[in-house]
Amino acid sequence: MTIDRARVTRRGFLGLGAAAGIITLTACGSDSDGDSGSSSSGGGKLVMTVWGGETDKTAYQKRIDLLVKKYPDISITLQLIPSETYEQKVQTMIAGGSGPDIMQVAENVNVYSSKNQLSPLDDLAKGAGIDLEQRFGPIGSLYSYKDKVYAIPDRSGAMIVYYNKTLFAAKGIQPPTADWTWDTTLSAFKELTVPGKQWGFAGAGWWAQWWSLAYQNGGKIIDDSGKPAANSDPVIEAVQWAGDLVNKHGVVPTQKQFADFGADVGGDGAFAQGKIAVNATGFWAISGLLKSNIEWDIAPLWRGKQQAVTAFGSGLAVSRTAKNPEAALKAIEFLTAPDAQKVIIETGQDVPANLDVQKSDAFLKPTWMTKPVDMDVFGESSSFIYRAPFIPEWNEMQKAFENGLNNVWIGKEDARTALNAIQKRLETIIKPAG
Amino acid sequence: MTNLAEAAPARAGAAPERTPARPAALRKRRRREALWFYLFASPWIIGFLVFLFGPMVASIYLSLTDWDSFTTPNFVGLDNYRQLLTDDPVFWIALKNTIYYSAVSVPLGLLLGLWLANLLNKQVRARKLFRTLIYLPTLVPLVAAAMVFKMVLAPSGPLNDVLGLAGIPGPTWLLDPTWVKPSLILLSVWGVGSATVLLLAAMKGIPRELYEAAEVDGASPTRQFWSITVPQLTPIIFFNLVMGLIGAFQVFSQVYVLTRGQTQAPEEASITLVPFLFDQAFAFYHMGYASAISWLLFLVILGFTLIAFRTARKWVFYETEVK
Repeated sequence: MTIDRARVTRRGFLGLGAAAGIITLTACGSDSDGDSGSSSSGGGKLVMTVWGGETDKTAYQKRIDLLVKKYPDISITLQLIPSETYEQKVQTMIAGGSGPDIMQVAENVNVYSSKNQLSPLDDLAKGAGIDLEQRFGPIGSLYSYKDKVYAIPDRSGAMIVYYNKTLFAAKGIQPPTADWTWDTTLSAFKELTVPGKQWGFAGAGWWAQWWSLAYQNGGKIIDDSGKPAANSDPVIEAVQWAGDLVNKHGVVPTQKQFADFGADVGGDGAFAQGKIAVNATGFWAISGLLKSNIEWDIAPLWRGKQQAVTAFGSGLAVSRTAKNPEAALKAIEFLTAPDAQKVIIETGQDVPANLDVQKSDAFLKPTWMTKPVDMDVFGESSSFIYRAPFIPEWNEMQKAFENGLNNVWIGKEDARTALNAIQKRLETIIKPAG
Repeated sequence: MTNLAEAAPARAGAAPERTPARPAALRKRRRREALWFYLFASPWIIGFLVFLFGPMVASIYLSLTDWDSFTTPNFVGLDNYRQLLTDDPVFWIALKNTIYYSAVSVPLGLLLGLWLANLLNKQVRARKLFRTLIYLPTLVPLVAAAMVFKMVLAPSGPLNDVLGLAGIPGPTWLLDPTWVKPSLILLSVWGVGSATVLLLAAMKGIPRELYEAAEVDGASPTRQFWSITVPQLTPIIFFNLVMGLIGAFQVFSQVYVLTRGQTQAPEEASITLVPFLFDQAFAFYHMGYASAISWLLFLVILGFTLIAFRTARKWVFYETEVK
């Protein structure tokens, strides 16, 4: 009995130790922040982490090959990490003292910059001859924290509207334009809906979607003083409008209906199946839709009181532990210059952030494009992009919205109640930048 | 090594009475044996110290800091624990959900395991095939199984179709706050095969004589089951109970796969402690806070395991034990 007891408790102990171990293993090397194991002598041996899949890997590698051809003294090891685990992996690398030299960042950029993990790039960029304004337009300083730039834009495209041409033609509705108001939009959705069979719109439950509506309505998620403003009237109105699309007007499938489309089929998948007439999402849906049987095109997002649309994209940052920040910046300069940026569109990966490339024929008529798609839409939308608040607590804020708004999307709660609760939660999460 | 050297002569010193002839040779052999012992045990000892004990001690310290996994940790005393216990509703929700999940899935798994093992112990045709089929799900990677479950549990999925045939309107399972936990439990039952195999092996080990004697005394099969089979199996049931409890409290992948994704399950109803810990550590960068959660989870599991051991005296039967 005693032996058995000792054995089992020890196992229990071990099992738990393992759980604790996962958390703390990362602690082991945290003190060696100074020496990045990745880069050696003063030369240009750099490690670059990016997320994505095969297309992304090809695109980044091709650009790096171009870079190495031009600057033979620089060599870059590309580490592609699946999107879902990217943040954890990079976190572990940094905590373990072998962080990357160049890392891809997006909305979460200030998680790192606020924790002193990225080098401020203003001076370095000047040194490398990058004029952010001129090269990227209004998004040049998108990845900033406390007036310092921490990442150079690399990919950037507005959210756009995909619409099913067949369904629109059948109802005699003109293609959507940037001048559609919420009312025009709603009545079009209503016409395009066949209850239980076909829906006008895929929904606006994702932050990128309903935030666009909130900003269109004159709202802000985080106000100018850095405090959350989730329960301000314009935001509440926008969320209520998005919720009503599902629960009052029935022009958006309910969660239940989505779950019936298949495991993890969301708006993009349902649109490709031809069940949904309009879907608002990013550039990435194009390649999949080229293979689908439906007839479709793209358009800019409609407007509210004003134009506003979320931008998707990512930037390249230089980590604090990079041995040779100058070389890293030299590499980023080249990667965001036209020659390398063209590869982004040639491989069908994304919208290049470089404005010259966005306006070039390489982008407007990509070689791989097999359907007549109006690529001008990206350029048209770029002036509508609002500046989303990339706060250091980004992930927690998103989680609070996801959990808090769920009841609105399923019609159990009105937007005001839900957003009031979320606002309280956000106030404990977000410490205004001092 | 110094401990070894000291310990060996001391032991040898007690021995001379019995083997006065060759104390030196014996001492040498003992010492050699001890050396081999440590040599063979060393992979485990080193592994334990480096990969478990070290991190565990580190996590105790970290749980008292505000470490964000990047910058230098600041010592905050018991703040993390205080905040968890008094100021974080999600922790209590997660704890409640975890206890609910464990309290149902563990006994259910045991009962089903016992039932299946008993069936497999009968002289049925194609017994080996059934045994394989029952164990097979255990070999399917959990994430793959969870993906399949997601489809099966879809609002108009196969399960609800079957329920519909019987005239029962099925719930929306993963989307319904009341049904999301039962869905998770359903998935846990999927892995009942491993308990079944252990119980079956133990059943086969029960001496025939006991049953023969009972039959002579006129005991019915049911009586035999409750008075011989079950008591003889209690050590294995107990083992499965304890391991099951520990596993259930640490449930992660099922919750992660089934309740997150395009169609989200209501988090309040489905989050358990380890996913909560994971979020804090790897999504929100509150490593110190997450370490505190892991230690509270440790205490909870320890508590329930101790309860299991306390009550074990009353119902677990060891043949070698003298009562």
